[in-house]
Amino acid sequence: MLLYTARRAGSPYHILYHILLALAISFSAFAQQDSVALEPVVVVGFAPERFMAGLKIQRVDSAALRQFRFQNIGDLLAFNTPLAFKNYGPGRLSTVSFRGTSAQHTAVLWNGLNINQPNLGQTDFSTLPVAGFDRLSVQYGSSASAVGTDAVGGSLLLESGGAQPEGVRLLLGRRQASFGNQQTQAGANYGAKFNDALHFSGKTLYYDGQMNNNYPHTERRGYYVEPSTAEQRGFVQDLVLTGKKSRQLSAHLWLTDNGSTLTPENPDARQLTRTQSRRAMIQYQTPTWTWRTAFTRDLIDFGAGDYSQLEHTATDRFLTRLEKEIAWSLSGGAKVNLRVGGEVAHYRTRVDGYAEPFITENRADFFALSRWQFGPRWLVSASVRQAFVTRFDPPLTPSLGAEYRLINRDKYLLTAKGSVSRSYRVPTLNERYWKTLGNPAIRPESGFNKELGVEAKWLPTDNQQITTSLTAYHNRVDDWTYWNPDRNYRVENLQLVVARGVEMQAQWRATFPVWQTGATLGYALNRSSQERVYNAYAVAIVGQQLVYVPVQQGTLSAYAQRGIFRFTAQMRAQTRSFTTFDNSNHLPGYALVNLLAEATGQRGRWQANLQAQASNIFDALYLNVGRNAMPGRSFSLNLLLTYNSESR
Amino acid sequence: MKKQFLKVLGVVLLVGTMNACREKEPEPEYYELGVMVLNAGNFFDNNGSVSFFKREKTTAETDVFSDKNGRSFSGGVQGYAETGEHSLILVDNDKAGLDKVEIVNLGKWTSEASLGAPDIENPRAVIGISPTKAYVSCYGATGVFPNYFANPGYVAVIDLSTLKVIKKIPAQKGAAKMVKFGNDVYLGNDSGAAELLVIDTATDAVKRTLKIGAGPEPISPDANGKLWVKTGFSVVRLNPQTDQVEATLKVGTDPRKSPSSFAVTPDGRGFYYIYSFYDTVSGVNKGETHYFSIDDTSIPGNKPIINRAFTGLGVDPLQGLIYGGVTPSYKQAGYVARYRPNGEKLDSIKVGIAPSGFFFK
Repeated sequence: MLLYTARRAGSPYHILYHILLALAISFSAFAQQDSVALEPVVVVGFAPERFMAGLKIQRVDSAALRQFRFQNIGDLLAFNTPLAFKNYGPGRLSTVSFRGTSAQHTAVLWNGLNINQPNLGQTDFSTLPVAGFDRLSVQYGSSASAVGTDAVGGSLLLESGGAQPEGVRLLLGRRQASFGNQQTQAGANYGAKFNDALHFSGKTLYYDGQMNNNYPHTERRGYYVEPSTAEQRGFVQDLVLTGKKSRQLSAHLWLTDNGSTLTPENPDARQLTRTQSRRAMIQYQTPTWTWRTAFTRDLIDFGAGDYSQLEHTATDRFLTRLEKEIAWSLSGGAKVNLRVGGEVAHYRTRVDGYAEPFITENRADFFALSRWQFGPRWLVSASVRQAFVTRFDPPLTPSLGAEYRLINRDKYLLTAKGSVSRSYRVPTLNERYWKTLGNPAIRPESGFNKELGVEAKWLPTDNQQITTSLTAYHNRVDDWTYWNPDRNYRVENLQLVVARGVEMQAQWRATFPVWQTGATLGYALNRSSQERVYNAYAVAIVGQQLVYVPVQQGTLSAYAQRGIFRFTAQMRAQTRSFTTFDNSNHLPGYALVNLLAEATGQRGRWQANLQAQASNIFDALYLNVGRNAMPGRSFSLNLLLTYNSESR
Repeated sequence: MKKQFLKVLGVVLLVGTMNACREKEPEPEYYELGVMVLNAGNFFDNNGSVSFFKREKTTAETDVFSDKNGRSFSGGVQGYAETGEHSLILVDNDKAGLDKVEIVNLGKWTSEASLGAPDIENPRAVIGISPTKAYVSCYGATGVFPNYFANPGYVAVIDLSTLKVIKKIPAQKGAAKMVKFGNDVYLGNDSGAAELLVIDTATDAVKRTLKIGAGPEPISPDANGKLWVKTGFSVVRLNPQTDQVEATLKVGTDPRKSPSSFAVTPDGRGFYYIYSFYDTVSGVNKGETHYFSIDDTSIPGNKPIINRAFTGLGVDPLQGLIYGGVTPSYKQAGYVARYRPNGEKLDSIKVGIAPSGFFFK
């Protein structure tokens, strides 16, 4: 299908087609194994998921991470989760709505460190390339007691670390895409054993992308396509030293530098947004203690015209955390883990638009997380966290979650889950310190999340596996902070937002003698509404769906693999998303379909993975937040070459 | 029984087929008598629209263009005019180079053409010159403060028989409001330049330049054939025959407030206007709606007709009612509030976002 499309599409794709065909033929000659080897997983650091009994956690599989390796985390999540995105355009700001909450209500953790930009309290998902991390878990629902601030709608847990036990694995990747867009990645994973006790591993990666967005058309069905360009550069360094008794010292560094320019051809009106982040972390772990210290620097520069006057935002964070875990075995076979810890952080921010040119504040968190395993059927977690912030009083946030194995057979597992938890969000620096519009007296939001779910795993035959989950949730957030458009966008604790919904996910995998195949279906229904009347015109807003939160979303992906070839279809559909608080105006719903063909070949120590992608194959029209058209059908060819000194 | 059934079936089928084959009656021209409301929309959401209602109704069709064309404007609505068989809508996108003049069929509102950059950039006012010609004033490509008006403005001349821009008449920076008077078009500006240009519609060229005062905004001719022009905090009465300023009247005395949105009464003997200021404490625009007569020798601005400011003001030449645009916020639908000439409120009608202008037909 893809080859056919590529052949018909015209001369550039004609060349692509021949390259693809030639490579495919040569790979098949070298094919020796039927399946693509999965990389071993080394878990570095403390996994907060252990203390999240009752909550839904989705681990994104390595095949998806590989397929989206040249794209951003937002693209990956859009096709694999029911998260909704507010997208300003290709390579431009993209923010998330997790279970009907706002962009500030999703915690993004990198090796356990919250990396939401502190001034905005959110992450621009266009600045986080999938290549920058190695594992990703999506945790649904409030988990403030385990994660801290921002974990109201859910959390994204990114982990990085070397995955090469010994020797060296070199990597070179290149993406060549429609519209003159491209990306290059170069890096290495390495590991060495010094003696029986000491093991070292690491990862180094550099990536550099350029989106020229040279669209062949200026308009799509009456809507203009925004002229824009974007650059993305980054550097990742992970070092892990493992000693006796699981003692581990690790260091992590992630530098990102993203620039996007609107109307680059217009010297008077062009607009530049440059976002840079520097994140560094050192962590030391013993079986019972974890100590971590980190530094982050987030920079944003915004300017227009000749860029002679850039608005500058700079925030530094110094952070250190100590945790201790204790385990007991109770009589009757119950196992209890208790993890207590504290974190202190110092913030320094300089922003042109703030009431003061230089602002510092201190934050601290203390938490106690517990996990109770009663036999094979019961798992309970009970946790509590208290945060302290300069000039602000976050509430105490307890949580209680439980899982019960209803059916526990060899080929059939059924688990019921439930969780109740409070959540909080430390207001962003902008919300408190912005001149005139900010509000130093802003109160904490108060969130209360309840959810119930079931998870089933079924092995109907030896070669097939089906997993499904169904979750219903109700998340009530009072004193919801709101840049009030009635008052020229001043920040106020005006609203009461109730988000409730249902999420369903089903996955099927099968292995046949020649074919391996599988499919994942996801569906989410989300009603998220503002429920408080605070002025005469708010009557029109009460009960209406929140802006940029589609009521229904669905994803479907299916793959089939035969030998070195893998074919994948990805689909994402969403209903309309409203742009006004009274739902009088909306962006239409849409469905996007991507097709991917992959071939992986091995020769000696070399491996090549070639991927041909056709995105938005039906050329669906969909609009960005600014009601301008997103690009239509596009193609890309991705090549990932690896050399592994340890391969046969 | 079976026979009868077949008979009935046959008749049903026949009638059905005849109905299907019958030529459709020409669609009635919906948008005849009534009021077009120009909704500026939220600037960064690019969701302007034009609403329509019949005068006797209290509900509006919120987005006429979207209903008739299956796509919406992608920008704020800046201006509207009807001439010949066409309606022209100025659509201003928040991104540079993505503005448009949408041309639709006058009655049906089906799209006929979209004109964009480089012919049209930052369109600010539109005026019909003849059934086959329209003028659109444009800022041109803008820059960044303090050099916002980076380029000279112009008036794009649109030939409505070919639906193309056939000429650009060079104008002052920030070319904006236009008023047609006789065979001339008076062109004001938003850049603060003192000149009011007079364009000859026969030659499509500037024939005179009048120095009026900073940022002149032509309002309307009055019953005596004089042209009123706003400049700064004053209005001037201009004699178009002699180009002489006959009177300059300062509007109001409140140092915080400024006058805007002048609307001439149907008899041409007075003007309504909004006198308002942005209150930094509440973050809300505050003020009132006032009236002055063309015979007044001063405009004290202290006796409001309506104790409320609007985001748009109009007076219906047919009924004399005052129309005010109400914008609760730029993130929800606005309303049109209707008042009798004495300021008594009649009703309000829900329209699009940020109603800012009216076209009565």
